[in-house]
Order: sequence, then structure tokens, then C-alpha cells
Amino acid sequence: MTAPGPGPSGIERLTARLRGPTGWLLLVILVPWLAAVAWAPEDSVQGVVQKILYVHPPLAFAAYLGFLLTALAGGVFRWRGDEAWDRLARSSAEVGVLFCTLVVVTGPIWARGTWGRWWSWDPRLTVTLLLWFVYLAYLLLRGFTEGSERAARFAAVYGIIGIAVIPLNYFAIELAGGRAIHPENLARGSLGAGMGLPFLLGTLASLGAFVHLVVRRVELEGLRNRLAERAGADGGRGEEFGSWDT
Amino acid sequence: MSQGASVPAPALAAYGLAKRFGPVVALAGVDFTVAAGRVLAVLGPNGAGKSTLLRILAGLTRPSAGHVSLGTESGRPGDRRHERGRVGYVGHATFLYPSLSARENLVFAARLYGVADPRARAATLLAEQGLTAIAERAAGSFSRGQAQRLAIARGLVHDPPVVLLDEPFTGLDPTSADRLGAGLRALADSGRAVVLVTHDLAQAAVLGDRALLLVRGRIAFDSGPTRADAGTLAAAWREAAAA
Amino acid sequence: MNVALAILWKDLATEWRGRDRVVAMAVFSFLVVVVLHFALPARDAEEARRLAPGLLWVAYIFAAILGLNRAFALELENEALAGLALAPADRGWIFLGKAAASFVILGAVQAVTAVVFALAFDVDLAAIAPSLAIVVALGSLGICAVGTLLGAVSVRTRYREVMLPLLMLPLLVPVLLAAVDATAGLLETGTLRWRSVQLLLVTDAVFWIVSFTSFEYVLDE
Repeated sequence: MTAPGPGPSGIERLTARLRGPTGWLLLVILVPWLAAVAWAPEDSVQGVVQKILYVHPPLAFAAYLGFLLTALAGGVFRWRGDEAWDRLARSSAEVGVLFCTLVVVTGPIWARGTWGRWWSWDPRLTVTLLLWFVYLAYLLLRGFTEGSERAARFAAVYGIIGIAVIPLNYFAIELAGGRAIHPENLARGSLGAGMGLPFLLGTLASLGAFVHLVVRRVELEGLRNRLAERAGADGGRGEEFGSWDT
Repeated sequence: MSQGASVPAPALAAYGLAKRFGPVVALAGVDFTVAAGRVLAVLGPNGAGKSTLLRILAGLTRPSAGHVSLGTESGRPGDRRHERGRVGYVGHATFLYPSLSARENLVFAARLYGVADPRARAATLLAEQGLTAIAERAAGSFSRGQAQRLAIARGLVHDPPVVLLDEPFTGLDPTSADRLGAGLRALADSGRAVVLVTHDLAQAAVLGDRALLLVRGRIAFDSGPTRADAGTLAAAWREAAAA
Repeated sequence: MNVALAILWKDLATEWRGRDRVVAMAVFSFLVVVVLHFALPARDAEEARRLAPGLLWVAYIFAAILGLNRAFALELENEALAGLALAPADRGWIFLGKAAASFVILGAVQAVTAVVFALAFDVDLAAIAPSLAIVVALGSLGICAVGTLLGAVSVRTRYREVMLPLLMLPLLVPVLLAAVDATAGLLETGTLRWRSVQLLLVTDAVFWIVSFTSFEYVLDE
């Protein structure tokens, strides 16, 4: 018997370790974050809608992290062939799409209040929208590919090429004359007094929620596998790889 | 059986071959060797992993564990490209292009394998398989038996030392089946190692120098270096099915 | 390299016999041009020139999707794609052969579509033909690279005809925008806009390298 069983891999040990702390972080941070947002000063020009600052960019950070993680984990799966990496790639794509959807929804709310219209073809908005399409396609590809190994391989390739396209998209949209009106990165101290704390808490909460959801998703996939394995051991269902019937 | 003191290196050896993904286990550790000039018959019920095994041997599928050695120096998991060139694979499907003629299909395959003179090689194979008269007809118009002969010619286009066949008797009339059986024997007698996947006990008993029974991705019965008669195989099959 | 040439020859010979792919693609792209002409009517020559680059590339991309889907439908019968994957060569050459055949076939369709387009929209494409050919070729290189990689993927999924554009279009945005921009530049000034050509070159390089190196892996089962 030389076939290695799907014992707990590094990924699975890591997710088991992260589940508790990220869950507690979320619980602990929720109330102070809401309080900080409530107490934060109201923007003199934009009014109350500006407070979406404490939600929108933090969600975007998590979404970008999700897509980066999808490509990286897919890449490692491609070289090492360890299924746990594929489960991580898939999970972070799913959670990343969720966060990206929230970004694409919260953005227009802010835009309507500040720019006076729901959408602008600003490069950053457009790149994010295209990213969202790429990863929706990624999930569709996984859904429509029979045989989970093939799905994993196709997805790994697509995730990598999807990341490679991001900078190209950025140049292309600038070329097409998409005027940049989106605020610059906030890192350069553009936050007003009293805005730093709620922003920091929001970012922590968003990243914590992202990691927690990915961890739970990876675990769920592992459990599902184990369950199917047990059912398979009883039923003794045979499978062939490389069948071309889709 | 003329096996001298020095046992020849096997033309094909599988070491601990396994294929699994998630809960799906197609092969759970399979070991065997095939010497040049021998026919190994691999038997088993549907979904036992026979086709997966053959696709791994052919270099189409990567095993999750274990490796294949194709008579090259060491058992090292070698260059896949090189290994693909040492195997002729005749699968379930014919790999033929229906709109190309029989000759064009073979010339194309010969070019894929980097054969020195594709046209001459195609002519030789067409003659061997008795297809010269219909060589210019589109492969799509061939009968099942003719297409199967052409598919075998395609599998042999690069004169491989190892030949793998997946259920080659399916859909053949008795005459064509007899002809194919004799052809397989001739392949082995010309010094090739042949692996024949089938679910037909009688075929395995008649054609195989050795028979393996694969059940749920494992070897449930191995006739060893001797031939197995149909009765033994049937008994082994019943036993494995009951287990 | 021989493998790529063999596949190029095989695809072109098959196409030459039936000519079904070229005909279907050409008829479809004519239709797109006609439909666009009525959907987006240009009131004067100025407006026609402004709309033309985008519309031309919409027609091209639709034709390309049709052709690339067909390119791998050919390999589906009798599992011919597995037959290619058996070849003892780097599978990047298989990619190259398939992509080159699609490029040639798409190029033929693009040439005739351009003529029909020039007539329908009353745009003078003849004057800029050589430069336009370069832009179209650069754009098609990117389209054929992505389309061949993803065609080999989508042909082995459910809803394969739908899957290819879903996978392909979000990745082709840089190629399309750069190609449209370059075409617009040609129509306005008659000269190549170096910035868009640069972006086309970089995008093509990225797509060809990723596709060439990924094909070994994609063709595994």
C-alpha cells in the first residue's frame, strides 16, 4: 500500500489553528468598530455617506488578498499537486468574489453621494469590475468541469493568467481614456483627525472576516471529502480518471 | 519458456501506482512488470481502474503516487516526453480525424512522433493492416473493424517497444476479433511488451501470458509468471466480487 | 517544432476541404457588421470614423470566438486531443500549431470582413491597409493565444461553447482596448500610436508565454 492517504496536510493544520483566533477577533472587534464609526467626525463636504470609508476600502483589501491567494495557492497546487492547496485556492476565490461583490455594491453608494453618479469608468473601478468577472468565470469553470482534478488543474491555470492580466488591464484602461477620479491610496496620511482608528478597526475586521471565512470554507471542503471517502469505502464505487465524457 | 540465467530487464514496470483525488480513488497502489515479448492481460469490472492504469502508463494521466519505468536505465521517474515516445497506446477512442484519409491520418501521426520518413512508414503500416486498398478514403467512412485496424496502425506508427490496448475487441465481429488476436500475439513475438485491458475472461486466458485482476483500484488476483486458464480467472473474479 | 507544423498543416488541410469554419465565421461577422450598422447608425462621416474601430473589433472578436470553439470541437471527435497529447514532444508545440492555424483562418476572415466593413460604414480602410494589417495581426496574436489555451480547457467542460467566451473576454480587455485605440489612431492620423502598439506587444508576449508553458499541464487528464 503505497498510496498516501489524505492525512492532515500543512494547510489543514494551519486552518485548524486560525479558526479560533480569527473568530474571537471578529467578535471582539465588532462593537468597538461600530462605536468608532459612529463617533468618527462627519465629513464637512461629503456628509454622512463618507463613513462608508470604514467599510469600502477594507472590503477591497480583503477582496484583492483573496484573488492573490487564489493565484498563489493555485500555483503551488500546480507544482506540488497537493489537493489541500487547491481547496485553499477555491475557498479564497469564493470568499474573494463575495468580498468583491460587496466592494462593487458599496462603491456606487459612495460614488452617488460624492461624485453625484453611481458609476464612473475610472481605472480602479474598471479593473476591480474586470477582476470580479475573471473570478466569476473562475468559479463557473470549476462548476462546469466534471471530475474535480480536472477542475483544479484548469482553475490553477486560469487563476494565474487572471492575475497576470491585472496590470495589463490597468494600462489598457488608462489608454482608453478612463479618467482617474478615485481617491488615491490612503496610506499617505490623507485620513483626517479621528478617522484613523475606525479605518484601522474596519480593516482588521474585514481581513479577520476574510481569513475566518476562508478557513471555514477549507475545513468544510475537507470534511466533505472525508464524508465522501467514507461513503465510498462502504459503497465501493469505482471511478476512472481521464474519461472524456463531460 | 526460455528464460536464461540472466533475467532481462522488464520492458515496462509499474511501482506503487496510485491515482486519487479527493474522495475518488481510481488506483490504490499497483505493482507489476512486463517483460519484452510478453502479453499482460488486465481484467476487471467496470470502474476497477483499468483505463486509468493504462492512461497513466501511456503518459496521459499523472499518477498521484508511484511511477512507471519503461525499460530505461533506472526506475527513476524519467522524462515524460521521452517516455511517451516509448509507448504505443490504442485507447477506447481511435484518435482519428474523420475528414482526413487513412493515409493522411497515419502520416500526421508519424510526424507527431518525429518518424524519419512519415510517408514510407504510413505505407508500410497500411500494408500490414491490409488497408492499402482503402488508404485514400476518409477515416470517417470506415467500418468499426477498419477503424480499429487503422487505430492500431496509428498506435504502432513509431514502432514502440511497449504497446497498450484498451478493450480493443469491443464492437468487432468474430473474424476481425480473431485477426486482432493473432495480431497481438505477433506483436509480442516481435519482442514488444503488450498490455491488454479487457473485461473478457476468455480473451484474457487465451491471449495473456500473465493475467491481473483489478478490483477497486487494487490487484485482487495475479496469475504470476504463468498463464491462467479461464476457470481460474472466473473463480478469482467471483471471489473478488464477493469480498 | 515539427509537431507544430504537422498540426498547422492538419488543421489547414481539414479546413481547406470543408471550408466550413471560414464560411461560418465570415458570414457571422458580416451579419454582425450589418446589425451594428443599424443598431448604431452613423449620421455623418465624422461619426462613422469615431465608431468604426470599436465596431470592427466587436465583429472580429465574435468571429474569433466562433472559430476557436470550432478549432477544438474538431479535436473532440474520437478524442483526437488525447491523441495529440500522446506525442513525445513538449506540448507547447501543440499549442503553437493550434494557435497558428486559428491565426491563419481568423486572418482570412478579418481581411474580407474589413472590406465589407469599409463599404457598410463608408470608411476608407484601403488607405491605411498596411498599418491596419499590423494592428490586426498583433490583436489576433493575443486573441488566438488566449483562445487556444482556453479552448483546450473549455472543450472539456459542460456548456463548452458558452464557457469559452466567458473565460476569454475578461482576459482580452487589454488586447481589445489597445487594438481599438491603435485602430482609432490610424483612422485619425494615419500613423501608428506607439503606446497602444507597445501594450499589444507586451500583452501578446505575456499570453504566448503563459499559454505555451501551461499547455503541458492543461492537456494532462
